[in-house]
Amino acid sequence: MRRRSALRKYGVVLLLLSPWIIGFIVFTGGPMVVSFFWSFTHYDMASAPRWIGLENYKFMFGIGKINGVHRADPYFWQSVKNTLFIIVFGVPLRVLFGMLTAMLLTRPKRGVNTYRTLFFMPYMAPKVAAALVFVYLLNPTTGPINQLLNHIPGVTAPLWFYDPTWAKPALLIMGLWGIGDAVVIYLAGLLSVPRELYEAIAIEGANAWQRFRNVTLPLITPVIFFTIVMGVIDGFQYFDQAFVAGNVASGQTAVLGSPQNALLFYSIYLYQWAFRNFDMGYAAAMAWVLFAATMVATAMLLLTSRRWVHYGGGGNQ
Amino acid sequence: MRRFALPLAIVAVLALTLAAAAGCGSSSGGSSGGSSQPSAASTNHTPVTLTVWHPWTVSSEKKGFQRAVAGFHTQYPWITLHIVSFPDSTTFDQQVIKAVEAGGGPDVAITFSPDTVGQYAHDGLLVDLNPYLQRDHLSTGTFAPASLTYTQFEGKRVVLPVLTDAYGLYYNKDMFAKAGISGPPTTMSELMVDAKKLTVRNADGSIKIAGFVPPITQELDTPDLARAWGGQYFNAQGQPQLATDPAWAAALTWQKQLVDWYGYTNILKFSSTYTPQEWNASNSFETGKVAMVFDGEWRTAMIKDDDSKVNYGTAPFPVADTQPSLYGSGRVGGTVTGIPKTSKNPDDAWLLVKYMATDTNFLVALANGLGNVPTTTAAATSPDLTIMTPQFKTFVAVWNNPKSSYTPPITASGSGYASLLTTFDQKWVAGKVPNLQAGLTQVDQQITNQLSLGQAP
Repeated sequence: MRRRSALRKYGVVLLLLSPWIIGFIVFTGGPMVVSFFWSFTHYDMASAPRWIGLENYKFMFGIGKINGVHRADPYFWQSVKNTLFIIVFGVPLRVLFGMLTAMLLTRPKRGVNTYRTLFFMPYMAPKVAAALVFVYLLNPTTGPINQLLNHIPGVTAPLWFYDPTWAKPALLIMGLWGIGDAVVIYLAGLLSVPRELYEAIAIEGANAWQRFRNVTLPLITPVIFFTIVMGVIDGFQYFDQAFVAGNVASGQTAVLGSPQNALLFYSIYLYQWAFRNFDMGYAAAMAWVLFAATMVATAMLLLTSRRWVHYGGGGNQ
Repeated sequence: MRRFALPLAIVAVLALTLAAAAGCGSSSGGSSGGSSQPSAASTNHTPVTLTVWHPWTVSSEKKGFQRAVAGFHTQYPWITLHIVSFPDSTTFDQQVIKAVEAGGGPDVAITFSPDTVGQYAHDGLLVDLNPYLQRDHLSTGTFAPASLTYTQFEGKRVVLPVLTDAYGLYYNKDMFAKAGISGPPTTMSELMVDAKKLTVRNADGSIKIAGFVPPITQELDTPDLARAWGGQYFNAQGQPQLATDPAWAAALTWQKQLVDWYGYTNILKFSSTYTPQEWNASNSFETGKVAMVFDGEWRTAMIKDDDSKVNYGTAPFPVADTQPSLYGSGRVGGTVTGIPKTSKNPDDAWLLVKYMATDTNFLVALANGLGNVPTTTAAATSPDLTIMTPQFKTFVAVWNNPKSSYTPPITASGSGYASLLTTFDQKWVAGKVPNLQAGLTQVDQQITNQLSLGQAP
């Protein structure tokens, strides 16, 4: 009887969960299992996947031999470096500018909603459209930004998306333009800091920096932590902006990552292996390495968060 | 944890079942090798509907194709066409591959990119048309010899050409006359001299009008330059030979000399102004900002459509002084059509493929609409071909030249390997490659590595 009752209970649970279970299996879990299998195969999407063991992973990290000869992916580490650049520079800039902009937006007494809307609007623009606009804005000869820079004595205007040194900084600028989502989150965080804490510290004679350092900053650390985690995850998956900017600026659709592989980010390189080199097995292996790297980075952030993120009432949780 | 053990187990089993099913689905692909044999020419005229997939996205092109192919139903009244247009030509082949692998797909596929022909043939996704060609006594000579460089792979002819692109040199006659140059350059030495003579600089040394922009512009690829020296990607054993075939070093050296003469930054600035304008009326050649350009035959129609006043001529792309016999040849390749192995009506599908590849009225109508080169001699010499101007004739001749070919060469892994050379060339013209020969050796190794991954045991 107990067994039948348990089965009935699980049956009801399964029935109620079935929409999610089916959705998870079909759209997430199933493809993940399949892609994990593919990562150990050579699979060109046309013929059956052929089991090759760890060859994809060995080729990726340059530690293996194929048919007795040492083989290594020529641009895997380049794509890793490019991606780390965006994360290492992009995430702190996003935190800093998001927070500063939000702090500015707490100041106006009138028209505050207008300002908030204005700063949020760029975030609404599709990434592809934004990339197209920035390729135009930053065009070395016809773009308005360089036309302005050229009028400043002693300044040599960069070639932006045409120069491997400036292509990634150009993307960072584009990223800062679209930080409306971070601004809104920081704004909510800043506005939720209890006013009585500011009053208390003001009585003790604290200046603006001390108010920020001892009250504001600790209380918005959960927001900072959230934006860092999301920024890191987005950085690992960086694709749209670089894909469009690289292709449009170079006029090349066959070669991804122009100029000179400066915009060859990990996800773009993965796309190249899947849909240009027709090696879905290797692309699947890259996807799993990306997944593992994202998990490790997020876990490390979570571990360090215990030391500096303060939840509610100032207690560490 | 134990209370969730059963649901979790069920989820896991379902996931694995799905994975296994996906694996089994995949394994169905490529088994037949596309070796279906045609039946004897059928007299069975049972009504049938053929599904046709094509990647034309522009409304005028879609309508142009539908108008041109309407004659097929008149000729074969028992066959009705269900024509499906795909919104994105860049992912079209992936859609075809996925559909055929899953056991579906069209009866006839038309694709712009011959780059996937190697995969279609190697994995048997498209039917080998050789038996049909033999049965119907359709000579391979119906098409130019160059068609063989991108319609067959590993002995299987899985597609036939339906119009093609052909590339050559466009030159501005007025600018040539002003500079005292009597005709288009035929050698790379002449191209270098003429490019310099036709260039006009601003006071600061930047380029006002370019004679010829040498780096990787939209249409000019490194292999197009190497072709002038007879450069071939692979040797007879199928190994990349960029370092061992001297043509590549010669072409890249020629390119670097001209880039350095202009100044690399000057070239980048000039290109950044005009690269975004390639496909509109502000095109650098159409507006007289470039005296010579490497481009495809479609530019003749665009010049007309854009009402450009440029007084221009066309010629085959110059060749190295040491390779005069190559003059007249060039890069070709374009739209192709074939029959997926999953077609339920391969014999009727063959009638459509043959019609699109050989019917003069169809090819002329389509060429007039799209501005591409007709792929049969009969169509190219048809009096109804309204796009046939003196400038366009150059591209028909390039198509028919026996030394013309498609690049990059077809492989079972597509053409992704070609980007390794392009990236190298970007660094080379930027002055970041200290030793050309060592660099080319490295690219050879990279290509070998990339292609070898597919051969891992």
